Amino acid sequence: MSRYRKWGWGLGIATVTAVTAYGLASWQANAAPAPPTPSAAANAQPRVSDPKPVAEPVSGKGSDGLTTSEVEKARTLALTPELTSGAQNVAGEAGPEYLSAEVDFENAGRQAELYFYDYKTDKLIKQVVDLKTGKLAKSFSAAGMQPPASERESAVALDLLLADPQSADFKEAFQKATGKQFAGKDGLVATAHIYKAKPADKGASQCGKSRCVQLIVKTADGHFINVPGLIIDLSGRKIARLT
Amino acid sequence: MTYRKLAGAAALLTAATLGLAAPTAAVAAPAQPPCSEASTVRETLPNGTTWQLCWRIHDRAGLVLTDVSVSTKKHPEPVQVLQSIRLAQLNVPYDTGDTEYNDLTTYGFGGYSLETLTGDDCKGGSTRQGTDGSGDPQQRDVLCVSAEASGLAYRLHEQEWDDEANEPKDTYFTKEGHDLVLRSISKVGWYEYVSEYRLHDDGQISARLGATGDLSPGDYSVADNGWPIGKREKDYASMHYHSAFWRVDFNIDGKGGETVEQYDTKMDGRGSQAAKLVTTSKTIAKEASLNKVDRRWWRLVSPTSKNADGHKRSYELVTGADDPYEGHPEMQPDVTFTQANLCDKWATDNVSDPECPLDNYGILDFAKDKQKLTDPVMWVRVGFHHVPRDEDQSPMPLHWQGFDLLPRDFTETNPLAPEGREAVNGQQRN
Repeated sequence: MSRYRKWGWGLGIATVTAVTAYGLASWQANAAPAPPTPSAAANAQPRVSDPKPVAEPVSGKGSDGLTTSEVEKARTLALTPELTSGAQNVAGEAGPEYLSAEVDFENAGRQAELYFYDYKTDKLIKQVVDLKTGKLAKSFSAAGMQPPASERESAVALDLLLADPQSADFKEAFQKATGKQFAGKDGLVATAHIYKAKPADKGASQCGKSRCVQLIVKTADGHFINVPGLIIDLSGRKIARLT
Repeated sequence: MTYRKLAGAAALLTAATLGLAAPTAAVAAPAQPPCSEASTVRETLPNGTTWQLCWRIHDRAGLVLTDVSVSTKKHPEPVQVLQSIRLAQLNVPYDTGDTEYNDLTTYGFGGYSLETLTGDDCKGGSTRQGTDGSGDPQQRDVLCVSAEASGLAYRLHEQEWDDEANEPKDTYFTKEGHDLVLRSISKVGWYEYVSEYRLHDDGQISARLGATGDLSPGDYSVADNGWPIGKREKDYASMHYHSAFWRVDFNIDGKGGETVEQYDTKMDGRGSQAAKLVTTSKTIAKEASLNKVDRRWWRLVSPTSKNADGHKRSYELVTGADDPYEGHPEMQPDVTFTQANLCDKWATDNVSDPECPLDNYGILDFAKDKQKLTDPVMWVRVGFHHVPRDEDQSPMPLHWQGFDLLPRDFTETNPLAPEGREAVNGQQRN
């Protein structure tokens, strides 16, 4: 658009001076290149191809991200009976909390790496599923590892915060930002950042071993409420305050 | 004899010489890259340069480019440049000391934070659909592919004597360049980040991170670490850092095993008219974290792939504006070279894979045992200290940080050389 406008402006000047310039222009006919017309200038925007989206395939190829079907298949294969009965999710129910799925194509073939969190043992679990053979290839687990939170974990964190007396800070920030008294979580969208205590941090030193988050909450009318000093400990189901 | 005639003769001679000593022809990148057609970007820019690559969205890294190859009108066989390039961390501490985020490892640029492109996000370009990389993958419009004019690519006013007309003749070589631009947008709270890769038609690659959206609504402080952005001297928006890391894995000509070289230029007395400067180079043979000094630069050199001049193909790291952050030791190095290791995923806050060690926190740990570099990975850090200004509200105008990868001897001459200049290669002996 800006390009088009510039040419229009240029042509305006050219029109005004066209009569006086005519004699000179005809004399210089061979030397002066013709100015591009507005349409030519507009068309000068280089084009890239614009392929139509295709239906998502069942299986990906090489470095493709995991497809919906591949993730579904891998999740089924990853959930061993031990995990289903032994581990616990963020809501305290049986079965691990599902976090994420990544493709590994650097080894031979395509593998799905699935990450789960077991709130019972505070361990991160990695299940590697070979998509070709349809088998669980490898399992790993370790404490003290905290990848980003799932959407469900963010929602549970918000519930825990609102149920705690320390959410008074949050509610006050809500009123300050929106001009309205806090009347419930309807319309709120929580963004959870994993919080891990650094050696000098005070107030939530268990975080890192425990799974903790800081929340940024967006209100229905677009305001952001941020109380970074309040830490939601999802493992301990409690609120901590950084001092 | 005219200059042009001489140049023509030189071209014939050069071609003959090269015919005898021609290096092995470049191994062509596969016609079909190792990904599906929907994950492939293959575009030819107006000057005839074609870039081909695979892309996907990773739940934490966001946009990832792999198997990046380039070919030009003069060199139609695609030659691989990169195995992969992606963001490897974004650290955002506020100057108050009360807030700090690692946006990639504690939140992530893919999945639910990846924005579906809309409005002017991809004006003039092609929006590509793909999976958003979340645990419950959704097919969305997530990548913008566009070709953008990059201004004047070169300019040369050649003057020669026309024997036949017996008068001087002027030739103007002047050309506009273009970039193939790939872009995705991630929303992390109030901030929105643009991951951008510009693949220039002359072989240069520019990696940039742009920040827009809104300033933090909660981080307001005082005059010595904030800036008053509301009416009068009241609302001091906190200053803060955006320290970004990229992970760059070259695979020049598909042969890998690049050598890392560091170049330094120092004053060395005087010549007859001016200061003499001397440039030395050394191989960075082992894992190392390194810092810039004036005129220092690094390049990754293929040990085997050569251009038609017999020079080893390489890419040079070109850094620009940068604010180092002294708050963390791992934010000190400008670049770190490490031996490729599947457990080294994030430049900092790396510990999040139960298959990998617990004490492998980041780049300083990756490089600690000073392994021999036979398959180097380059970690580039670029920091931006953001001092808010009135204009940041609202939305905040995009601010950018990034670096360039410049082809050095990838081709024997300018890959965009026009007809009439193609034969110019080395000292012109006329």
